[in-house]
Amino acid sequence: MSSSRRSRQASTSSRISDDQITDLISKLRQSIPEIRQNRRSNTVSASKVLQETCNYIRNLNKEADDLSDRLTQLLESIDPNSPQAAVIRSLING
Amino acid sequence: MASADKLINTDVPEKDVFALHFLQSLSNLKTQNPLNSPAKSIDRVRKIKKAAYVSMARAAGGTSRLWSRALLRRAAKDDNKSVRFSRRKRKVTWKISSKRRKSNNQRAPVVEEAAERLRNLVPGGGGMETSKLMEETAHYIKCLSMQVKVMQCLVDGLSQK
Repeated sequence: MSSSRRSRQASTSSRISDDQITDLISKLRQSIPEIRQNRRSNTVSASKVLQETCNYIRNLNKEADDLSDRLTQLLESIDPNSPQAAVIRSLING
Repeated sequence: MASADKLINTDVPEKDVFALHFLQSLSNLKTQNPLNSPAKSIDRVRKIKKAAYVSMARAAGGTSRLWSRALLRRAAKDDNKSVRFSRRKRKVTWKISSKRRKSNNQRAPVVEEAAERLRNLVPGGGGMETSKLMEETAHYIKCLSMQVKVMQCLVDGLSQK
């Protein structure tokens, strides 16, 4: 029963047109700084875009890791009387 | 096909939406347990990192995106909570088995290979068809980079003497 539901759905709603694929690929390209700078060739292949996307995501995850680390240290070492603490307090409570 | 000319929307909220959610998360963390416990610093870092991802998913629209839904579900499973999903008018996309997904995809194998690697990086990617995966990815990386910017601003603000 569920498999017939799946096939019905797959044939109507998840087929998107080539135009939309092209649009998505160009959106992805625009979101990724490295590819955006390579204006020379307009024929960046789809798989290259996906590859660069993977690298970009990995970099972002790494940055988030590092920033979480630094944030933890900074939040712990805040002197409660410092102006930074007051800023945090007002941001959180306000 | 009804959806033939519909342009796919991958807009994300403004930066301050992300900032607000993140600060809220941080403040919840602080009230739950004072920052001195849990004792291990790696646990503290993990909590903050988790708060960042969860708040990002919420800022991005909560359960209205496949990736954010998957992220929140994963986080709730960690906490042994259950996530409540509102009833949606549109049918929820069921997880597609990889065999069926492969037969639905008629794209070049080299594209599919790269898409497979992407699936491991995007929350919930495993159940998505390639076209849906790309839409979700575009939204996901925009939100991720927003979140990173917010965290950078916070770190910069706190680092000033």
